[in-house]
Amino acid sequence: MDRAEILGLLADAVEKLDVKGVEPLVDQALAAGLKPSELLTEGLSRGMQRVGQAFNCGDMFMPEVLVACDVYFAGLAKVRPLLAADGDRHVLATMIMGNIYGDVHTVGKQVAMPVFEASGIRVIDLGEDLNDEAFVEGIRAHRPQLVGFGTYMTSTFMHTKETVEAIRKAGLRDGVKIICGGPAVDAEAARRMGADDASDDAWQGVVKMKQLLGLPA
Amino acid sequence: MSRIVDEWVSRLKGKLPPIGEMTHWERMAAAMRLERTDFVPVAPELDYWQITYAGYSHQEIYHDVDKTTDACIRTWADLRTDAIWMYVDISHQIENFIPAERRPHHFIHRGEKDYLMFRPLAATLDEAIAMYERRDYEKYLADSRAVTHYTPHMLQLLEFQEKMDRQVPVIIGLATPTNYAETIVEVQNFQKWMVTEPKEKVRRYLDLCLQERLAALEFYREHAVGNGAVFCCLFGGARTWGPRHLEAFADVDRIFGEAAGKIFEHVFWHHCGRNLPGALQMISEIPGVRGVQYDMPYYGQQVTWPEWFEQAAKIFKGRQCAMNAPTTQLACHGSADEVRGMVREFIDATLPHTTACVMPGCEIDSFSPTENVRAMIETARSRRID
Repeated sequence: MDRAEILGLLADAVEKLDVKGVEPLVDQALAAGLKPSELLTEGLSRGMQRVGQAFNCGDMFMPEVLVACDVYFAGLAKVRPLLAADGDRHVLATMIMGNIYGDVHTVGKQVAMPVFEASGIRVIDLGEDLNDEAFVEGIRAHRPQLVGFGTYMTSTFMHTKETVEAIRKAGLRDGVKIICGGPAVDAEAARRMGADDASDDAWQGVVKMKQLLGLPA
Repeated sequence: MSRIVDEWVSRLKGKLPPIGEMTHWERMAAAMRLERTDFVPVAPELDYWQITYAGYSHQEIYHDVDKTTDACIRTWADLRTDAIWMYVDISHQIENFIPAERRPHHFIHRGEKDYLMFRPLAATLDEAIAMYERRDYEKYLADSRAVTHYTPHMLQLLEFQEKMDRQVPVIIGLATPTNYAETIVEVQNFQKWMVTEPKEKVRRYLDLCLQERLAALEFYREHAVGNGAVFCCLFGGARTWGPRHLEAFADVDRIFGEAAGKIFEHVFWHHCGRNLPGALQMISEIPGVRGVQYDMPYYGQQVTWPEWFEQAAKIFKGRQCAMNAPTTQLACHGSADEVRGMVREFIDATLPHTTACVMPGCEIDSFSPTENVRAMIETARSRRID
């Protein structure tokens, strides 16, 4: 199999929700001499882009998207240890992400992380049900450009205000862009609570984050 | 007989000024029957909000039935909405699946106004199925909040409803099979399993959920309807399912909805989160469901609010009352003027097609300002129907 064929199969594995098939394909790709970075950006990530297109035009829905994310992560898990040695991977920005206080639902984060990673945003997952201090500490420890608040429920989305305020009080607000994500978020409400933006769609979230950072679309 | 109910009845009965030509009950019932009302009814889901509005913390009412009921009636007496929502939280729904010693880990109250946090009860589909097959929900029922809090609270509110001569209806809340299926294992897990697990196994789980829910309806027939309940809100799951999943698995909700419609006179469906027209269409076709409390449009739909309201109203035309506006986000973070604007848009876009009820798509957040809740009520009250 040539390079293009292997990369096409990797993208297909994500799009066709082939959880079992992706790992052998990654092995095959590496054995064939493909760089981890190209395997990621031109194989797995391309698959996630196709999933995004299918999601946006109503051909794929959340249950399938969640499984596609698992496929992507299974492939990424094999590639990730090799990426540090591969100087070709271009990271646009670093993001810390976690579910805000009171929220243990990971459904949005499970979709957002692979989509963001596939778009060149390095994501550090802080976990779920995080108190405000966890985000403050996360910013101090990882120096991200982006902070993502995940929230599944309307009621927990409303905690955005307190968490943003804690980041501001710690003197860290100006150094980061804050974006909320999840099915219940609303961009206008997020801005009123002190965040920079919000998106209920991971792919749209990437567009918004690039805008916030002044990066080309 | 309840002291708290009798106190409120003696304070309120015969002393409240009328609003319009209809009672609250008549207004809600007429809207559900798709008949003309004097004003557009307004019945925001005040679950958590009414507790803090009445001056209690959520911790304070958690085990105190009288205070819970007091909060609901006190709020209604002040605001005169067209229905009283009984207080329901997630522990009422699923606490009886686990023994008492596990409950503190799964249900956590923190801030005074915070939503009750909960953790899923099973980690795998096999575990969830086993939980149902063992009928754990019966084993641990006796000391669960379904028995110690939900039921006595419901009975108190129904006692108030009846002693007030049915001026205002009480809305009984109960969850559908898909809501249980998702909640018990955590929504994203169940959604993935619909794709990755054998279809028969998913069906088995959903059928078990359905059986438990249908058996629960017998309880409601005796204790809710038997004590005067007429209005019932079914909390649906399946919020982000696509057409294929609805086609394959949503029949359990259809069966349940139809059964509930045979017991309660006025059943409406609560479908919060992001809604697809296809899901609304499915709900609109369930016999016995007279209203749909719907929410925001799905991600990919590029529609304005009036367009979305009109689209939904057309789906419900001739079948259901449309229940919406404002969004819970706007109710919490918008201005009173914005709330008024969205309520007006909803009414204007809906009434040409079906009846309307001002009722945000989900429960009002505890932090929502009182002036915003008042704004939605006043806007509905200012809209006399010719």
